Amino acid sequence: MKSLYKTILGTMILIVMSGHANAVLRVETTTQDLAAIAKAIGGQHIEVHSLTLGTRDPHFAVAKPSMIRRVYRADLLLVIGAEMEIGWLPPLLQSARNNRVQPGNPGYLDLSQSVSLLNQIKGPVTRAMGDVHANGNPHYWLDPRNGIRMAKMIALQLEQLDPEHASSYQANFNTFEKALTVKITEWQDSLLFLKNTPVIAYHTSFVYLADAFGFNIVNEVEPKPGIAPTISSLSRLVSQIKKEQIELLIIEPYYQQRSARYLNEQTGIQIAIIPQSVGARPSIKTYIDLFDSIVKALQLKEAK
Amino acid sequence: MFFKRFPLLTIFIVSGIFSFNASELQAADDNTTLRQQLLELQQQQQNYQKQIDTLDKRLNETAKSSSTAVNTSVSSSPLKIGLSGLFATGGSSVDNSELANLQAGGHDPSKNGFTVQNVELSIGGIVDPYYDAQANIIILINAAGETVVELEEAFFTTRSLPWGLQLKGGQYFTEFGRQNKQHPHTWAFVDQPVVLSRFFGGDGLRSQGLRASWLMPTDWYSEIYFGMQNAKGETVTSFLNVAGEDIGGRTLIDRNTRGSGDLLYSARWLNGFDFSDTLSMNFGVSGLWGPNASGTSTDTQIYGTDLYLKWQPTTSQRGYPFVAWHTEILKRHYEAGDPGDNTRETLKDWGLFTQALWGFKPGWVAGLRWEYATADGNTSSDPLRDTRKRLSPNLTWHTSEYSKVRLQYNRDWTESLAEKTADTVWLQFEFSLGSHMAHKF
Repeated sequence: MKSLYKTILGTMILIVMSGHANAVLRVETTTQDLAAIAKAIGGQHIEVHSLTLGTRDPHFAVAKPSMIRRVYRADLLLVIGAEMEIGWLPPLLQSARNNRVQPGNPGYLDLSQSVSLLNQIKGPVTRAMGDVHANGNPHYWLDPRNGIRMAKMIALQLEQLDPEHASSYQANFNTFEKALTVKITEWQDSLLFLKNTPVIAYHTSFVYLADAFGFNIVNEVEPKPGIAPTISSLSRLVSQIKKEQIELLIIEPYYQQRSARYLNEQTGIQIAIIPQSVGARPSIKTYIDLFDSIVKALQLKEAK
Repeated sequence: MFFKRFPLLTIFIVSGIFSFNASELQAADDNTTLRQQLLELQQQQQNYQKQIDTLDKRLNETAKSSSTAVNTSVSSSPLKIGLSGLFATGGSSVDNSELANLQAGGHDPSKNGFTVQNVELSIGGIVDPYYDAQANIIILINAAGETVVELEEAFFTTRSLPWGLQLKGGQYFTEFGRQNKQHPHTWAFVDQPVVLSRFFGGDGLRSQGLRASWLMPTDWYSEIYFGMQNAKGETVTSFLNVAGEDIGGRTLIDRNTRGSGDLLYSARWLNGFDFSDTLSMNFGVSGLWGPNASGTSTDTQIYGTDLYLKWQPTTSQRGYPFVAWHTEILKRHYEAGDPGDNTRETLKDWGLFTQALWGFKPGWVAGLRWEYATADGNTSSDPLRDTRKRLSPNLTWHTSEYSKVRLQYNRDWTESLAEKTADTVWLQFEFSLGSHMAHKF
């Protein structure tokens, strides 16, 4: 019994030591967009992994056991916030029992605090309105200017958690910001033709993209956020598209394309499938790749 | 033996708590040295913001105000309150008294006509940096038409013990298998599996106690649970239960807890794997050991194994499509009668259920469940120990994340039933108000 006890004690000490002797910061993110930005800032000093895939809607993820293990080991957890992960992050944080990444501690970073959220709702909010987020629309990473704000917040947090490599994080942030600033000009130039044009979106997820590039989202295919379109809601859209001569419909790859195709058949409206996240397509590996692809998808309209 | 080691355990826990405080102090020091860098960065940020604003102006757009919050303050943790209601209506080829035996779960629809299966008030939240707490209060209308209010669960869970440890205490569902812990509004079928009703009674196995769990330092998810709970009460039916109840033709005596040997001990080992981005699995084994009230020194053991597999393609809308397969097998050894009693025997029962769910388009789930339960000996007239099979196809429409409608057909083959078979159709409706429900794996 005594030797068994010593073995258990020894194992426990080893586990604890291995946890603290870890030189590289373990960063877990709730989306691949956050992982891509964190990688650009953290470089070789961090090990970064996203809990969800960019091909899926992050709102509807489930707290899988493998995630519990990952969050338990994490030094820093980056989240989108603004209720995006409300269905699965709270139970995950409880199961993961990792004090470092609990809200309020330096290992928990809610990136929605780095930007000003659009669509904040004043006045009463009820679920009769669909999936409405009173604190603001959570799809803010789709404005590349917000990418800079997010990157900065991540850099500051990495510096606080790992002061030894602070200069590296600062340098990486500067590089990232310069590259992105140059690209933003390019992207805005390429999309000048979209300025002030009316656009239909499938879900209320492109308000930041519209804000960044100056087009107007005049309606959504979903009659209420998260509520599937019906025959009558689609026929109302058909008349609106015809009346207002709307030429572009934008939709994420993970939504069923049936309603969009129906609208296309009825009105000739063009459909642009917008990869909404890093990882939405295998070729999109960085935050800059993401907007290169989005801009390319939006330019389909110009090619007409 | 346990108590000899207890001081050491205390030292572990206390030293763990101190190490947290130390790291917080460290963080505070870093904070002051970083404030300087922060200011520099803020200046830098302002310069870049100007560039960004210039870009904005090129689009003749009102530049968005720069509100780069650099603190990491978090909104306070409000109380999470939810109310869910579960209602059913249906009809069966058998009458109400026979139907009550077929639908032995306390939340099962169990009569021809309408059933209020479960109205549940759930209140929970974060107590402080060390504890979470939750209470679930259920209100239901039983087969006799009486309203029953019950404290289903009320427990605390630790948030930040070191080394992957977690304690839970209070009144709670025992961690045995996958289904036992689930509340009726998260069930995939309108009723609970037959074998669970037989071994754990109508309301699931739950009691007052304390359990520890350890998230093991393996590469995959692996967690061990060990618990101690009171063995007495109507929600601990295979153990001390309530005096006067029957099992296998014997009437239970009033047996009390005299020492630690009269508690219910539970153990569970749960593993989780991701085979790929699209396929995940949970595999668990569970055991229960405790006294039963058929005699003064009789014991019961229950063992179970559970498997859950879920497939979801890499591209999915609102969590659809998916395929999930859930199977549990349970076995019970029930010592009936004290040594020296010449009718002493060991009642051996076992059963299984296996169910598949297919979420074929957003909001729509088709399900199929097959069940089997039996016992050794001549039990054909005992509705809780006869040989029984049940096949249940169903279709669920989740109108939103907060409501659903479900249609289910049950085909029963039951030895104890005069007709031997029964056909039943149920229509179920659920709403949930308040806090957002968790998306469980």
